[in-house]
Amino acid sequence: MSLDRLMQVPGAMAAFQYSDKGDLVDHQIKEGTELTPQVLDLLAHTCVANLAVATLEARGWEQLTGQAGFEPLQGFSLVGLDWSAVVNGNFGVVVRNRDADYEAAFAALAEFKA
Amino acid sequence: MRIISQLMQIPGVIAAGEYAYRGDRYAYEGNISSEHARMASILCRANTLSMNMQTELFSSFAPEDCGCKPLQGWIVRGRDISVCVVGNIFCFCQNTPGLLNDVMTIMRAKVGDIEENPLVYMYAKIGGDVHEKLY
Repeated sequence: MSLDRLMQVPGAMAAFQYSDKGDLVDHQIKEGTELTPQVLDLLAHTCVANLAVATLEARGWEQLTGQAGFEPLQGFSLVGLDWSAVVNGNFGVVVRNRDADYEAAFAALAEFKA
Repeated sequence: MRIISQLMQIPGVIAAGEYAYRGDRYAYEGNISSEHARMASILCRANTLSMNMQTELFSSFAPEDCGCKPLQGWIVRGRDISVCVVGNIFCFCQNTPGLLNDVMTIMRAKVGDIEENPLVYMYAKIGGDVHEKLY
């Protein structure tokens, strides 16, 4: 599997791979977009942090409320003004909101984790 | 119709609510208790404010506007349930095929960036008689 697969997700502007700590390992950015490797690096850190927080909240919520169905998490998305970052595991894809297919993005990321 | 009620019309939506950015006020409909809705409101507000700050930080690394701020919302995709937040609205929904995209389209149309009729937008994206399904 490569980042090329993620770049095929509808509306993809960038695809990236990051370490467990959130450092950018590899990336592809579609020409003409306003994204930079520096933005992707911080975005990856943000996503790692929020995935960890979401795991904490999901686990706590399930324990506290008895409502199952959250864990294990299948991913996280940050929805910005023009684009959304969708991540899971150590991979992420940035999709333009007007073309975004969140389910397709999560499904593509699940292939990487499998 | 209020967006919360509108979201609750969609098959597979478990609960939807609205929280205040300041204070503890919240409103909700759905299959969770009032106490759990209160917790969800606090959780969603805290996450949204935190992510808003984060987007401000990483957008400063772009030469110009990188297109991410202001933050519209976020999604946590669980095994069977997803949590979607746009603005000050939250929605718990099942991971039924197609549902996440429908919910996000409605939420972005009501409190986000979609300016045209959301149904026209959805027809264009997924096709089919979504009006019957949603309303």
